[in-house]
Amino acid sequence: MRLSNILYFFREAAKSLSRNRLLTFATISTVTICILILGMAVLLSLNAERFMSRLESDVQMIAFLDRSLSDAEIDEVQEEIEKIDGIKSIKFVSRDESLRELQETYGSQYDLKATLGKNPLPHTFEIEAKNPQDVPKIAELVYRIPGVYKVNYGQGVVERLFQVTHWVRIISLAFIIVLAAGAVFLIATTTRLSVFARRKEIYLMKLIGATDWFIRWPFFIEGIFLGVVGSLLAVALLAAGYGALLQNITSMAIITLVSDMAVLGKVYLALVGTGAVLGVLGTYISLNRFLNV
Amino acid sequence: MLVQFYNVSKIYPNGVKALDDISLKIDRGEFLFLMGPSGAGKSTLIKMLFREELPTRGQIFVASRSIVRMKRSEVPLLRRNMGIVFQDFKLLENKTVAENIAFAMKVVGASHRDIRQRVPEVINMVGLKGKENCLPTELSGGEQQRVGIARALANQPLMLIADEPTGNLDMETSQEIMELLFDINRKGTTVIMATHARELVKQAHKRVIMLERGRIVNDTPHGESLV
Repeated sequence: MRLSNILYFFREAAKSLSRNRLLTFATISTVTICILILGMAVLLSLNAERFMSRLESDVQMIAFLDRSLSDAEIDEVQEEIEKIDGIKSIKFVSRDESLRELQETYGSQYDLKATLGKNPLPHTFEIEAKNPQDVPKIAELVYRIPGVYKVNYGQGVVERLFQVTHWVRIISLAFIIVLAAGAVFLIATTTRLSVFARRKEIYLMKLIGATDWFIRWPFFIEGIFLGVVGSLLAVALLAAGYGALLQNITSMAIITLVSDMAVLGKVYLALVGTGAVLGVLGTYISLNRFLNV
Repeated sequence: MLVQFYNVSKIYPNGVKALDDISLKIDRGEFLFLMGPSGAGKSTLIKMLFREELPTRGQIFVASRSIVRMKRSEVPLLRRNMGIVFQDFKLLENKTVAENIAFAMKVVGASHRDIRQRVPEVINMVGLKGKENCLPTELSGGEQQRVGIARALANQPLMLIADEPTGNLDMETSQEIMELLFDINRKGTTVIMATHARELVKQAHKRVIMLERGRIVNDTPHGESLV
């Protein structure tokens, strides 16, 4: 591509932007609002995702062992469990440790050992799965090992949790797609006005023998500019708003928001990129009809 | 042969039959009038030359290339062989005479140097020296059409295609425009002109193709059909 052509494309784009100031303003506002809503949806689902995966990773299995097992048999059970695929960690907790923990939660007021006479607790294994979704399956396998008389992992509740997180993920993805499609449509509508104002020029260029790309470039540059400026504004608003939210909410222990700057930076960058893509897509859609000569 | 039509028919989606089994040949260097009442198919035939319309049936060759089989990406190259002159001039209102002509060269990728050299040449050719920096609105109709012709000539086309180029001009101005077109033809450019202006055609003694309801009813080498 010739340098003079590139300069020409940028000049044409700049001319068009400054000629239709009102339209430029309207399109930038549209992009800003769309990207702002999109950004909020992304941050919301990002936090939901973080919250859900934390909930999920808390899911743990406890395998209770028969009290009659010897130390050698306990080792055998451990070996059997370790053979199962998808296990992240396994930790033996002896009955004495369990009792000590229990004692701690009750405090020194009650002497459990004295009250109960002997330790009624069994030996246990605390098992973590690599993928929390596999917990019910692994629990079933562990339960089948001789010497294990019970596996606890919050049966029922865990399955429900996974069902809920599954649907939350699908719905938030669908929501983001719908918002992005809406943004493309809005940008296409506003850029159509700018294309329409120049339809005679486009027709003339086509008949003179200009290639489609020669005609498209100035509009694309215009679209990218509108998309990037609009989304930069949106990201500025979003970052300010989210920053304020972070400061006010850290005192609440239950909800921890995503505050990792590397993650947030990626989200903001992706939003600006999305703005540029939406700008190009919008102009592409509105331009195509007029290129068909 | 520059242009060949073989049994070309055009039926628009609304059912109107614009052309009905047209065959014709146009040689390099010819001057050709297309005549006929409104709706006879003149504009459709002209639009097929630069592939704004495709035939429903039949085959068209321009400079030995099939218009029908041509890929979409090849159309710009086809059109660069042609200069098109419009009844309503289609000048860009916010550009000067020189800029309008330079624009036509710019959009086909001509270099700065070629543009600087060629624009004064064609302005001279159409007799608009001294008006380079005028806006179209500051010119008379005849002068505006001269800009249109200069723009069409800028890329040194094989043929000039004019659809009612004098349609918006008075008789005297029309004759001046005709003189200009004859002049261009004498220098070797094929000219194809659709028109209603019987008087102009009569004076010209050039080839005339008469169209009526989409058919060629007459094709005379020196306009004998009009006497």
